[in-house]
Amino acid sequence: MNPDNYCYIDHSPTETGENGTLKGKLLSIQPNISVRGWPTEAGSVALEGFRALEDATVTERLREAGAKITGSTRMSELGFGLTGDTTPLAISDGDVDIALMTDTMGETRLAASIAGAFGFKPSYGLVSRYGLIGLVPSMECYGIMAKKPEDIGSVMGVIAGCDNHDLSMPEYQVPDFGHRGKIREPKVVIGTVRECMDTLDTDERKAFNETLSQIRKMGLKIRECNLTDFDLFKTVHNIIGSVEASSSGGKYDGVRYGHRARSTENWNEMYLKSRAESFGLLIKTYLFQGAYFQFENYSAFEDACRIRARLIKKTEALFNEVDLIVLPTRRRGINAADTSTIEEVYDAFSLTLPANVTGLPAIHIPGSVFREENDPGLQLIGPRLGDANLISVAAALSHTTLGGK
Amino acid sequence: MDYEAVIGLEIHVQLNNATKMFCDCPNRPGDEPNQNTCPICLWIPGAMPRFSQVVLEKATMAGLALNCEIQKENAFDQKVYYYPDLPKGFQLSQSHLPLAKNGWLDITDENGQPKRIRIHQVHMEEDVAKLVHETEGHTPISLVDFNRAGTPLVEIVSEPDIRTPHEAMEYIRSLRTQIRYVDSAECSMESGTMRVDANISIRPKNSDRMNTKVEVKNMNSIHNVGNAIAYEITRQANQLQKGEAVVLHTRLWNPDKHVTEAMRGKFEGPCVPDPSVPRIIVTDEWLNTLKARLPEMPGGKAERFFKDYGLSRDEAVLMSSERNLSEYFEAVVNQDIPPRFAVHWIATQLLPALKERNQNVEDTPVTTERFSQLLSMLERDEINANSAKEVLAQLFDSTETPGAVIEKGGLRQVSNTSEIEVIVDQIITENRSAVDDFHNGKTKAMGFLVGRAMQASQGKANPRLIKEMLSAKLGNNT
Repeated sequence: MNPDNYCYIDHSPTETGENGTLKGKLLSIQPNISVRGWPTEAGSVALEGFRALEDATVTERLREAGAKITGSTRMSELGFGLTGDTTPLAISDGDVDIALMTDTMGETRLAASIAGAFGFKPSYGLVSRYGLIGLVPSMECYGIMAKKPEDIGSVMGVIAGCDNHDLSMPEYQVPDFGHRGKIREPKVVIGTVRECMDTLDTDERKAFNETLSQIRKMGLKIRECNLTDFDLFKTVHNIIGSVEASSSGGKYDGVRYGHRARSTENWNEMYLKSRAESFGLLIKTYLFQGAYFQFENYSAFEDACRIRARLIKKTEALFNEVDLIVLPTRRRGINAADTSTIEEVYDAFSLTLPANVTGLPAIHIPGSVFREENDPGLQLIGPRLGDANLISVAAALSHTTLGGK
Repeated sequence: MDYEAVIGLEIHVQLNNATKMFCDCPNRPGDEPNQNTCPICLWIPGAMPRFSQVVLEKATMAGLALNCEIQKENAFDQKVYYYPDLPKGFQLSQSHLPLAKNGWLDITDENGQPKRIRIHQVHMEEDVAKLVHETEGHTPISLVDFNRAGTPLVEIVSEPDIRTPHEAMEYIRSLRTQIRYVDSAECSMESGTMRVDANISIRPKNSDRMNTKVEVKNMNSIHNVGNAIAYEITRQANQLQKGEAVVLHTRLWNPDKHVTEAMRGKFEGPCVPDPSVPRIIVTDEWLNTLKARLPEMPGGKAERFFKDYGLSRDEAVLMSSERNLSEYFEAVVNQDIPPRFAVHWIATQLLPALKERNQNVEDTPVTTERFSQLLSMLERDEINANSAKEVLAQLFDSTETPGAVIEKGGLRQVSNTSEIEVIVDQIITENRSAVDDFHNGKTKAMGFLVGRAMQASQGKANPRLIKEMLSAKLGNNT
């Protein structure tokens, strides 16, 4: 383990489960996922010195299942984007089998595409958010990265399901993650989105079509679907995400924990100065933008909420025609790990954030048949609570066609 | 010019739920500072709110008591403001989808006419922490006590239907009675479980314009709400008469100086839906179980007391003003005490005695059984009113029956005519001048003589008999 990649390493990790399904698995987390007593600064000066008081529900369940949590990797400030994130290295260096991170706009899938691993984002509400120190509560959830898709299934089997600490989780039948690696329904129909394909350049489309033809060879059907207003996903995420960040991010006030500015005249100034000194430029811009929409242009926020509801309806309706939706994972020529403006971040994540806006499960499937720089990646999106099947199809695809394991 | 006031009230009521709104900490803001806290109500990163079902029930019962329509769907929003009493930067409140809407309360206006005040909405919100300002040496410091943070409130927003300080006070009293009946809250302005903010504007009489309003806060009694509104109406009228415009702002009632004073405006923006508290769906089935738990409400009860027990309107309202009191009253009546006789003794003797001893009808040792026994002995002339008062006082300190207290104190009324005759004859002999006065037409002298006779009997004689006998012996004074 290269210490530079970690903000905390546990040299003698303990697990509480004796014969759990994750027995012997090594797992890394990020410092916005609570482990009692660990430094939990979420990549921000605003949480400088903060140590979690309680275990997150996920870390408790992972340990009970026998997983060893070996450390927390470095992350972008408050999990917004991937700048400064070292999680891909933990996987590609072979430090751990599984990396648990957060997914606000597709960070897990993009990180997986960098690491050459699977990156999975579950259905929103399927995994308890208790213990997640977040930024955009209606979009973010835990994400799982692993070389082996069956590890993702095992982790989901452990962490999915109701939690008394997170009452925002709807009641549902937790998917059965027991039959991993097999496509249970042999006639899977996969849909491409025409409006998304239209945004790809020639090289991206060529590479992506190559991937699609490989999938066809497996005997899977591919059908073209329409999802009008696909371009609005980005705008909707940007407006709602920044407003939620500005509002819920108020708790990072620098008073009870984190960085507090010295020598201020009064408490208004204390807040202003502490927050000014705490947040990086990117987060500051994002919070300002959110405050703008909340206080100066609220109708734009309301429009975004309405459009979001419509986009969710439209996307879910596609599953009447097809079983899964396929999209590329990333845009060519944009390095998601090196973004410095809001626009750059949103451009880099434009293909992954639809799953965060809709709350649908999505997975990035690594492929080795393409040259890395041309590879737009392969991402499947499933229907709500279709998580187990989505992982199975992803595993099957990589095993047989894409030359994965 | 004649002005009339347009007044709307925003009333915060602290629900009497055992726990806070989003965690299991005790709902006891008055405990040792920061005793009742946990990661949730301290808003530590990673904690998530866990909305209490009992709070929802208490709030819904309050909504029903205020004749509101409970909404099928309600949800929480984040109300953003920065102040050290709210360290997470937003308050969980309901702005877009409130719990209840379109309620009303009936009050009596200055002219004794019934008037309906409409209620715009009732919504739930969490309370914030409390700031304590102290000095450490010469340095002023501000401390934050989180015991109150996250305690459950409902905010009741009236329509601007109120026109006078009297109507405002009646509305608050009626609201308090209704909410106490369903046991959702204590509603005491003095102890801080009810806070009233008044929005006041004035306009020429008979106009239907809505003018710029001023918000007045910080009243700590119902009486002060009336005073603050009266002051504010005069202040605004004077301002208009001087040709100055009323500007939108907030003022604080200063109870010492009896004036309202301008305060700095608070920064407040629109609310953002909160994704961490689940949306609340109210089913008919659940609502019906709550409705089934509603007690007979004070309006209906007063009507029944008026009709069935022959009380006056005022007596009926008084006896139904508190649920426990109404139940006490009915228990006494059910032990064959004439209703108006019971009202008289409850209102003039029992209630003042309870107040003096800081007791309530539900926890006093003067149970309905003991009180009824006492009243029934009084009614049968076994004791007189003076003795009854004395016995009542003793019942607070002993566990004996009223009968035993009477025997012990020798308080049984003397109704034996021969014993009374001895006393009356003695009084006539000893008070010749009063007897002369009486014969000279001074009717007051009779009262004096009865008093002396009662004294001579050590208060035990039946005053009606003494008077009868005195009159017979002295003859007609005309």
